[in-house]
Amino acid sequence: MQDKIIQKAKELLSGGAVQVVIGYGQGTGDRVRAIFIQKPEDAGRLIMDGRCVQNLAGYLMKHEVRALGRAAIVARMPVLRSIAQLMYEEQFKDSDVAVIGISDANELVDLPDLNALKEYVRANPLKLTPEEQAEVDRLDAMTREERWAFWMEETSKCIKCYACRASCPMCYCARCTVEVNQPQWISVPSHDLGNLEWHIMRAMHLAGRCVNCGECTRACPVGIPLRLLNQRIIADIADNFGEEEDYALAAFKPDDKEDFIR
Amino acid sequence: MSRIGVFVCHCGENISATVDCAGVAEAMSRVPGVVHSVDYKYMCSDPGQTMIKDAIKEKKLDGVVVSACSPHMHEPTFRRACAEAGLNPYLCEMANIREHCSWVHEKSEATTLKAIDLVHKMVEKVKKNQPLYSIKVPVTKTALVLGGGIAGIQAALDIANAGHKVVMVERSPSIGGHMSQLSETFPTLDCSQCILTPRMVEVAQHPNITLYTYSELESMDGFIGNFKVRIRKKARCVDEKLCTGCGLCTTKCPTKKIPSEFNEGLGMRSAIYVPFPQAVPNKPVIDKTQCTFFLKGKCKVCEKVCPTKAIRYDQEDEIIEVDIGAIVLATGFNVLGAEHFPEYGYGRYRDVIQGLQFERIASASGPTSGAIRRPSDGTEPETIVFIACAGSRDEAKGIPYCSKICCMYTAKHAMLYKHKVHHGKAYVFYMDIRAGGKMYEEFVRRAIEEDDVKYIRGRVSRIYEEDGKLIVKGADTLLGHQAIEIRADMVVLASAAVANDGAEELAQKLHVSYDPYHFFAEAHPKLRPVETNTAGIFLAGACQAPRDIPETVSQASGAASKVAALFSQSELTREPVIAVVNRIAPPLYSTCTGCALCVPACPYQAIEMEEIKNRDGVVVKRAAKINPGLCQGCGTCVALCRVKAIDLQGFSNEQVFAELMAL
Repeated sequence: MQDKIIQKAKELLSGGAVQVVIGYGQGTGDRVRAIFIQKPEDAGRLIMDGRCVQNLAGYLMKHEVRALGRAAIVARMPVLRSIAQLMYEEQFKDSDVAVIGISDANELVDLPDLNALKEYVRANPLKLTPEEQAEVDRLDAMTREERWAFWMEETSKCIKCYACRASCPMCYCARCTVEVNQPQWISVPSHDLGNLEWHIMRAMHLAGRCVNCGECTRACPVGIPLRLLNQRIIADIADNFGEEEDYALAAFKPDDKEDFIR
Repeated sequence: MSRIGVFVCHCGENISATVDCAGVAEAMSRVPGVVHSVDYKYMCSDPGQTMIKDAIKEKKLDGVVVSACSPHMHEPTFRRACAEAGLNPYLCEMANIREHCSWVHEKSEATTLKAIDLVHKMVEKVKKNQPLYSIKVPVTKTALVLGGGIAGIQAALDIANAGHKVVMVERSPSIGGHMSQLSETFPTLDCSQCILTPRMVEVAQHPNITLYTYSELESMDGFIGNFKVRIRKKARCVDEKLCTGCGLCTTKCPTKKIPSEFNEGLGMRSAIYVPFPQAVPNKPVIDKTQCTFFLKGKCKVCEKVCPTKAIRYDQEDEIIEVDIGAIVLATGFNVLGAEHFPEYGYGRYRDVIQGLQFERIASASGPTSGAIRRPSDGTEPETIVFIACAGSRDEAKGIPYCSKICCMYTAKHAMLYKHKVHHGKAYVFYMDIRAGGKMYEEFVRRAIEEDDVKYIRGRVSRIYEEDGKLIVKGADTLLGHQAIEIRADMVVLASAAVANDGAEELAQKLHVSYDPYHFFAEAHPKLRPVETNTAGIFLAGACQAPRDIPETVSQASGAASKVAALFSQSELTREPVIAVVNRIAPPLYSTCTGCALCVPACPYQAIEMEEIKNRDGVVVKRAAKINPGLCQGCGTCVALCRVKAIDLQGFSNEQVFAELMAL
């Protein structure tokens, strides 16, 4: 697998199709980190194993990375989904990005262009795994008071480091709402109210956009299970609007259910 | 520092009975930035308005809060007063301490405290208000009338006679609507077609009216004064310019056994047909679902017999685009279908019919040429039972409302029957007789007293057939629920009037609201009965609620006068309460991230993406742009925008935040 990726990266770089390949490389200790290969002879530094789970799509949105030229990205399913969503949000043109796709079965997927990527993502709709669903159901089974206590306990740990935001490929806004201070809707200090406001706001901003990569949870230094919020919304959207690619918060259809209006 | 004036209204005793108005004014005078605070008995009166104007001038106010009733009622009044005193009208706000406070609470200190809160938050809002300037938009002086029944006909003629262009769209092959199906009309018993057909012809010949029959609205974009409408003109398969309406094709067509829609299934028509002899336009249509040529690929009899060679089998639907300034909705109603009355055997027994079918039987142009005959065997019925409220006022059938027209037409039916079959017996089962209207009660009395129609107050529980008779089982509630059994030859159900097919989809296409029964909703039940909540779209007739002909016609004229008033100016002034995408200094230019998710969210298609260029003409950013002409200020995009790059003028984030923080 790793060899195939290295081979593909070499081809792309030496043929001049891309100027940079974004992939996983050896970090400090036993860790992997994102690396940016700009010369074909460096492609050997790319690795691919069980540790390579970080969603790299976020890098595609950075000015510094865009400045390097056309990029290819090593893309597992969550990355492919992120790219598809970012395309829906008009953040990419077809000419901006090439992908080295890897299926859930750990096979190299040939995706010659972003349309092929879109088709591929459409053919593999986002679903929660049984374990993830069980976790959502466990929270659902709680009483309101228990659930409130659970989230107050979890969010009370938050130190407002915004690592969740930094790691999320969907958090690409030039000026985040939390930084809008005229007026200051979201309080900045990490007290109970400020933490709750921040996390609720982030979950709502990701509603219908989150690709369930889990990056926020992995990035959180205090271990808040942030993806649970998004997974619950993913389940709700699938139940109420089907698994369509349209943005559920904005797309209006005459046959949308209105049973929440009582 | 702001210089704000607060004006607390007593609204007679409406507010002052439960709220201490002087106390509110006194409390406000202590709020920083408030330089003038008074209370008065009627703020909206001339002296009240003068108080505001004088204060603006004397105290150099830069903001005004009128704490009185709903802004729905008097906001324009007070804003106009402020404008007259030289203050930008959008620096005036209303705090609603009547509907939101005095009317819903008892007299108490807490009520006054709530009123103080309500006024205080508006004071804080006004501190953040910016002067706004109204938007001018041009008006296209062409009206679209949807529906060619009596409502549409009346509205179209009135608008056209006022000198404006009208486009009329009717989905069936002829205009005329339900009124053309009727026999005689209550309460004068004049022949329906005799009074209607001259108007139909007038529509067709009027130089200001363009008529599209067999056509439907495809889509509508735009806004008041500037709608863009696409009309689908369905293929008639007949060249209307060549066709002379001689009718040879319809007589020669070999497919003749198709139940006629115009005769409510009681007569037959051919596959190429004109719905009725007086149809306007008098041009046939090929029913592609029935025509032998379209089903089997051969026949073409009509093509062979047509003397002007007008038949066009390959004709396709045509899409016509028109610019429209105002729309009159006159799409009418329908009657409740057969499947709703299993207990009455409607659909099972051929002699159980509904009101419109009886109209056809009684009509001189109907299948029996006006002779009252049973549909099953063509004999003259000796006994007819009329059942009022078939479906109407019946929660179990999902129709709690009164269909309004049935009491009158049932009396008319019974009367017409008695006039034609003198020895016959007519029974009417009713719940209440609702005959409110000029000459209506007299009309019903005439049916009972002069024509000897037997009115029985009670409901029919079931109808079944026995030896060729319909056994009607009911109860007479005026005789202590005494069971009644009538052996009838025919039963006529005054089945409920319901919204027309497709009303819901049409309402969604036009962004018009509708009630739970899919009747279109008026903007105000009393004061704005012919307007919808979408500016520039008006209502006429039974698409709004069941109506009889006089009411429909007067409403249609009302809608037409609204359209004429709209068209009397060449420019419209619109409130500047619209959404705006922000612009900031480089390098961001706008906080908009260009995600374009607001584009599909806008219910008015007002948002598009634009490219922001730097001074060298290089595109630096794509950002959302809101068309001020299309935006209705609903705020959907504002709520959706993650970065708060969109703000609603007059209800900006800062203003709303200031309001909330005052609480």
